[in-house]
Amino acid sequence: MTRTIADLDPDIQKRYPYKSNFANVNGWRMHYVDEGPKDAKPVLLLHGNPAWGFLWRETVKPLLQAGYRVIVPDQIGFGLSEHPHAASAHSLDNHAANLVALIDHLDLKNIFFVCHDWGGPTGLCALLTRQDLASAVAVMSTWAWREPSSDFHKQVMPWLTMHAPIVGPYIMGRQGAFPGRGMYLSVVDREKFKTEAMNAYQSVLPDPNDRRLTWQWPRSIPVSPATDIAGDRFEWLEEGVRALNIPSCVIWGREEVVFTADVFAPKWHEIWPHAEGTHMVTGNHFLQEDSGYEIGELLSDFAGRNLS
Amino acid sequence: MSVQKINERPSGFRSVPVLTDPEVAHYPEFKNFLVETFELDKDPLGTPGILDVDGRCYELIFVGRSGQPFPAAIEIAALVEGLEPMDTEQTDTDLWKIMEWLVQGVGGRWTIEALRTTGKIYRVMPEGIE
Repeated sequence: MTRTIADLDPDIQKRYPYKSNFANVNGWRMHYVDEGPKDAKPVLLLHGNPAWGFLWRETVKPLLQAGYRVIVPDQIGFGLSEHPHAASAHSLDNHAANLVALIDHLDLKNIFFVCHDWGGPTGLCALLTRQDLASAVAVMSTWAWREPSSDFHKQVMPWLTMHAPIVGPYIMGRQGAFPGRGMYLSVVDREKFKTEAMNAYQSVLPDPNDRRLTWQWPRSIPVSPATDIAGDRFEWLEEGVRALNIPSCVIWGREEVVFTADVFAPKWHEIWPHAEGTHMVTGNHFLQEDSGYEIGELLSDFAGRNLS
Repeated sequence: MSVQKINERPSGFRSVPVLTDPEVAHYPEFKNFLVETFELDKDPLGTPGILDVDGRCYELIFVGRSGQPFPAAIEIAALVEGLEPMDTEQTDTDLWKIMEWLVQGVGGRWTIEALRTTGKIYRVMPEGIE
């Protein structure tokens, strides 16, 4: 069944009051928001796991006020997009190609890519595939290299255990831990999140099969040779982003515990010596929940100075 | 915890799929434990493995995929009598016990303690486990 923003709880609609659009990307139904003048410079806001466009609801506002066209897709498998059950649908390559298909469908040019979490590997792969269409890039709580630099991803408890065979589908699929408790633990103002946002993330992934990507996507992080199913793509990605020479901006949450600021932000500046920032904001992994509007202002200011 | 491998599928029970993992070799030692326990190297496409969990039975169906070592995937199904509805809360508890049996069997760095702590962090551990 195709659901739109208008079909969701009124409180979610109030916080994310935009028109639903759909595009066919590689045979899948992708939901996206497309606001602002169609001839304005496009800003592409890319979420990760287990979020959807709703994560960017406050960030959208300053960008629209500044006159940009803002496009916010729900990655296939999340939000109001189609939730494929086939495991092979959820490779990094396929998700990146879905974004390429959306860019082509909308005939976007001079795109400002804004990447968070898995919106980084997918969005930056798409950027490299349509490099001539990119005008600038911003990254936050994300990475683009083969092996994560964080100890968090190498610890048996909880990361490796929660992604073990059978355990992952149980904890995150059957029990839905990630759009609920997992996100709750990864914001600063937990009570605000619980009151204003948690339902928006849980209600779009209501059944275990809808939540497949919440446990399957993290398994693409190459934490050991046996789990290295996307390593070659990550190597290609790192080589590509290192060669990228467009205006770049790094934004990070001070309270980030997964992609810690002291490790990941310097790595981005090593990759992109010309990058602006790091702009530090209040925020854990889902920093948009605590500083969404401020991030929108930072992006708008950066875009105003750097988009030609 | 009482999870035991048994050899015969009880008759008069229907199979209700409750959990699927398409990547049972994500950590190879998990797949290897299942291969050894159910002797899948000798008879990969024989009958499903059967586990008795405190008197209730579960079927482990091993699935192959071209180009990958067998098994590539696993489906766990509850065996439910006749046309009676399945007790989903009990199933959640039993699946947890199966996971504890699995991590204990695999051993090494995988422990019941780490599994339970992870379950507590995410508040997904069924009641009555400890």
